[in-house]
Amino acid sequence: MFDHELTSGAPLESDTQRIALGLRQRDAAVLETLVEQYQYRLVRYLVSLFGRRYGVDDLVQETWLRVMERGGSYDGRYRFEPWLFRVARNIALDTMRKRPMLSLDSRDGGGVRSSPASGEGSPYTLAARTQDAERLADAMQTLEPVYREALVLRFQEDLSLQEISVIVGAPVSTVASRIYRGLATLRPQLEGETA
Amino acid sequence: MNLDHHESFQRMIDQTLAGVISTEKEQSLREHLSTCASCKEYLRASNRVIAGLSGFSFEVNPTLNARVLAALRLQMQQDSAARPNRRRFIRPYTVSLKVWAAFAVAVSMSIVGSALLYEVARYLTVPIHFDNAQVQAGVLVFWLLPSLCAAFCLFAAPVEMRGIA
Repeated sequence: MFDHELTSGAPLESDTQRIALGLRQRDAAVLETLVEQYQYRLVRYLVSLFGRRYGVDDLVQETWLRVMERGGSYDGRYRFEPWLFRVARNIALDTMRKRPMLSLDSRDGGGVRSSPASGEGSPYTLAARTQDAERLADAMQTLEPVYREALVLRFQEDLSLQEISVIVGAPVSTVASRIYRGLATLRPQLEGETA
Repeated sequence: MNLDHHESFQRMIDQTLAGVISTEKEQSLREHLSTCASCKEYLRASNRVIAGLSGFSFEVNPTLNARVLAALRLQMQQDSAARPNRRRFIRPYTVSLKVWAAFAVAVSMSIVGSALLYEVARYLTVPIHFDNAQVQAGVLVFWLLPSLCAAFCLFAAPVEMRGIA
């Protein structure tokens, strides 16, 4: 019935312990594997935060450098992704504070929405590979970053609400509400169209 | 069935998709969906949005991985080159003249303040019938030791926690 059921998705504890040990020891091989494994997801998450592609590569690099620097604080008791995304989010927020043209703290429509840099197409229009994605692209671009972030983390990263809550530093109820509102904004884009 | 009734089930659909619905509610939702076309349509539209999100595929710069790995290797080399020097000179760099001066001022103020307090307390012992040893103990326990501890904490704290301009 529900296409998107909760997936366990949790790696074996030994995997996370291995990552934690590798980060603590600054093991180059472990870091290389992590970069290979999580690079696309990191890019996708940062695009969802910024709503643009420009500048994301620099943030990705900055994130991995921070992962190496602070790797000792990942203890391997939980999945690696939430920790990685939290690191990336903190760096993104620092960047936004330094260049305050974007803000994630837009409260229910009152804030500044992200837009691609001048001359750059919408990353969602460029990334749409299906008809439904094409229909959703504009709405995704103009969606409040906090809603877009919640949707991406829940439905593309398959993270639980608790994990998202840790990443965004907001209560579970707030995260749930962002997901509902995000879905409510996107749903009309596909209404009246047959799949 | 009224509108509110459907809205409550549609809220349950949202909760299910978000992963926060209880088993009992999910069961009642399943039963409702078997008979309600509008809620079934709501679920179908929601699932379609979620599936639509998977239709975005971002292109990753093909040189990004190499660039990141090069930056990581460079940082590792710089860290390992800097580490022995940092270890050798850790004390002189972390305990600056400013901290020594702040520590000396804090210790002097502890001693001078304790002496003043002792004099005042001794003056007050007469009306409240304390003897000299009790005053000395009071000053030691409640004034001199805490202020000296604070001075040592200042000295031992990490640089960024000292709060010295």
